[in-house]
Amino acid sequence: MRQLLTTALDAATDAGATYVDVRVLEAVSESLSTRGAIVEGLDRSESLGYGVRVLRNGAWGYAASPRLDLGEVSRIARMAVEVAEASSTSQTRPVELVDEPVHVATWVTPVERDPFAVSLEEKLGPLLEASEAMERVKGIRVGRGTMDLHRQRSWFLTSEGTDLDQTIVNVGAGIEATAVNDGDVQQRSYPGSFRGHFEAGGYDIVERMDLAGNAEQTAEETLALIRAPECPAGTTTLVLDGHQVMLQVHESVGHPTELDRVLGMEAAFAGTSFVGIPELGSLRYGSEHVTIQSDATSPGGLGTYGYDDEGVEAQRVDLVREGILVGFQSSRETAAAMGADRSNGTMRAEGWENFPLIRMPNINLLPGSGSLEDLISEVEEGVYMSTNKSWSIDDKRKNFQFGCEIGWEIKRGKLTRIVKNPRYTGITPVFWGSCDAVAGEDEWRMHGTPNCGKGQPGQTMRVGHGTAPARFRGVSVGVSQ
Amino acid sequence: MSRDFAEVPVDHADARRAAESVLDFPGADDVEVSVMGSQTGVTRYALSEIIQNTVRNEVRAYVRVVTGRQVATAVTTQLDAGHMNRAAASALEAARQSRPDEEWPGLPSPDVVGHAQGCWRYDDATAAATPKERAAQVVRLLSASEADNTSGVFETSAHSFSVLSSAGVDCADAHTRCVTTCLVDTGEATGWGEDSSHRLDRVDAEAAARRALDKARRGTGAIDAPTGRHQVVLEPAAVATMLEYLSYCGMGAKQFIDGESFLIGQTGKQLAAPGITLADDVWHAHSVGIGFDFEGVPKKRVAVIDQGTATGPVTDWRTSRKLKTEPTGHYSGSTEFGPYASHLVLDRGGDSLDELISGVDDGLLVTRFHYVNVLDRPSTLLTGMTRDGTFRITKGEVGGAVHNFRFAHSVLDALRSTSGVGRELAAFAPDYGSFGGTVAPALRVEDFNFASTTSH
Repeated sequence: MRQLLTTALDAATDAGATYVDVRVLEAVSESLSTRGAIVEGLDRSESLGYGVRVLRNGAWGYAASPRLDLGEVSRIARMAVEVAEASSTSQTRPVELVDEPVHVATWVTPVERDPFAVSLEEKLGPLLEASEAMERVKGIRVGRGTMDLHRQRSWFLTSEGTDLDQTIVNVGAGIEATAVNDGDVQQRSYPGSFRGHFEAGGYDIVERMDLAGNAEQTAEETLALIRAPECPAGTTTLVLDGHQVMLQVHESVGHPTELDRVLGMEAAFAGTSFVGIPELGSLRYGSEHVTIQSDATSPGGLGTYGYDDEGVEAQRVDLVREGILVGFQSSRETAAAMGADRSNGTMRAEGWENFPLIRMPNINLLPGSGSLEDLISEVEEGVYMSTNKSWSIDDKRKNFQFGCEIGWEIKRGKLTRIVKNPRYTGITPVFWGSCDAVAGEDEWRMHGTPNCGKGQPGQTMRVGHGTAPARFRGVSVGVSQ
Repeated sequence: MSRDFAEVPVDHADARRAAESVLDFPGADDVEVSVMGSQTGVTRYALSEIIQNTVRNEVRAYVRVVTGRQVATAVTTQLDAGHMNRAAASALEAARQSRPDEEWPGLPSPDVVGHAQGCWRYDDATAAATPKERAAQVVRLLSASEADNTSGVFETSAHSFSVLSSAGVDCADAHTRCVTTCLVDTGEATGWGEDSSHRLDRVDAEAAARRALDKARRGTGAIDAPTGRHQVVLEPAAVATMLEYLSYCGMGAKQFIDGESFLIGQTGKQLAAPGITLADDVWHAHSVGIGFDFEGVPKKRVAVIDQGTATGPVTDWRTSRKLKTEPTGHYSGSTEFGPYASHLVLDRGGDSLDELISGVDDGLLVTRFHYVNVLDRPSTLLTGMTRDGTFRITKGEVGGAVHNFRFAHSVLDALRSTSGVGRELAAFAPDYGSFGGTVAPALRVEDFNFASTTSH
């Protein structure tokens, strides 16, 4: 690997690059899925390749390949320089990078039980047990179990001397029941939707989920949804569980505070942001209960690492402090563009194929106090919604509509009947401004989404969110049509 | 100047050599190998300069191994015999630890499903486009946009695909693609233009920029318009997005079998206006794709909605056996996900865009949608935002711009209330990945629901 890294670095430097970084990545993954008694998917994947990123004439170039012979490595490095020269034909101002100390380090995700050392038989066991148990419940059409395991090791070398070796391990698993009745399809999942709950770490995380032990309740709640009335429309108090707060943070705080979006670099595809650099330190983003951090050091997060993909050390920074916008997620280039001294280390790339972008590490809503029960007990009338189901937000991240799998009406401080298709809508700063409580540390969990999309060519990224249930007043709910 | 790419991404002979190293893997009853190669150059620009510029070569071999009724797949990015054998061994080990799949239909044989042919929408000049050529296109596009905040991509790519199996499948295809997108931001409003084809010389980036500029200029002075139900003209980009989500709502046989498809109970019934014929058709002149699916089953044109009437879902080998029909060649590569319609074509009608607009007394013109998602699959209820050019139509004339809306509407309801279909077809490349694409005209829809609005 060392020879590949130095060959690429030398070839790009010899071709005239003024900055070079080379990233070699080896990834292995395993994806299991069961439906009832059938193993529908049993897929293993290995990916090995490298990417060379250069600056030449003040412009970026990137080239990547899985072909490992040194002749091809040199060709790809020279290609990156050729790409940068082409980029410079439209350049109006040269790319500048803020300084970052040179790092020579090894970093590894702490893992209690290596998920790739566990037999497939052991891994399939709880999935099959759960999916079969759900399909045995009368009225359940489909019971499904999924498990996704991922390990990647990267070697990173720059012309500035940074030399890194990182290994990251993620696991995820979940179950889902589907019921169908007269044109109505309802789904309920555990412990999270869209293939379950994801964290960084070992197989012990999956073991603690007790998928099989939760199959019956998941199936019963699905059937209850089929029988339930629609969530009534109106303006009311909304309590969200931690899973849905994850989605709320992701879409309406994580993305709008990505500095590339703020600067207009993602305008054509993902969009821009309703916040701007001049508003830093003054914009009221939410109530005083809302403090949100970008934290690449949080234990267990899908966005937890030692160094980002341009060699910047992982950091924890405030984005929103007691309701005021105080920070952005940045890169070395965008930090320079806004006049900051240092990148806060959020550049990541999917695989070896892709140019790194600003990607959320772990965007965490800090806990408040009390329990979920306490939050609900202070609601005269409202709705409690759980587990994300749908999401849509405008190109400036302001007007949103989100939906959950299940809701419960709240009457006089107690959960009452289940309601189906619960959805709510809002305007980002107004919604966060209506937050009057966040539950405490005992309710705070690290959640993860492995499929955040951004960039062209499209990249999906693993992102973490530490959240607790939260309460919002005066929210428009039940707003499907 | 060197070429980015010296050859078709992965020549079929190289794919066959890789596959033959494992097709008779010891201990396996059957083996299937799919080899995908791609070479992609994407020049991405924003703030009227190139900001990211990438060239990437990719290779992936999918090795599916069968022992008895136990099946597993392993993927590798290296085609040498050592890595291929390691992948086959890994898949076999996994299959042996799995449980027998009582619904496993075996690998499809060409003697039963037919021998696949390639579409070969491949253009050497597009495959050979250099970074300098892409940058030159962007420079011309930026000049045509006349703005200091223009963004988008100019992309050229080449893709190859081979499938070989111990059941006798041996087929290959390759295609190229050129895509340009352009967003012009004048500071007061944004406008959009895009173009795509399998040939670089059929993509007019400057024209896309001029369309974006025109939309942005006309977007100045946008005002609020009332939410609620409106007569609308949806331009092709907006229609294409709706159709792609309609596919997600259940055009595949797996969703149909599982009871989650909008097609359940609808076969033979009127689902849309008589002017609506929606097919999955990789063979259409504007489509870009491969002529068979991930199992090497020939891909057929399937009119899921034919002159307004529902026919049935697209199938793969496995689901066709369950439904006792012929496979239509739409295996997605995932048994969990099932077959998928990824080359939608909505037949053209007889009206120009101006004629569609002239039939609107009081309504809206929508350029495109943003961040659409499904709210309810069986009813095909979607939500999403308009962006980059939403205008009032009054007495058949396009008027001033309005602020963007959030819509909440069923695709099938929109197709039912369609009163006019455009005669110009536009082709759209997918946002993610090399496969798929949608071909769509503009539509005039009599009743379309906008739930809320935003301030831009």
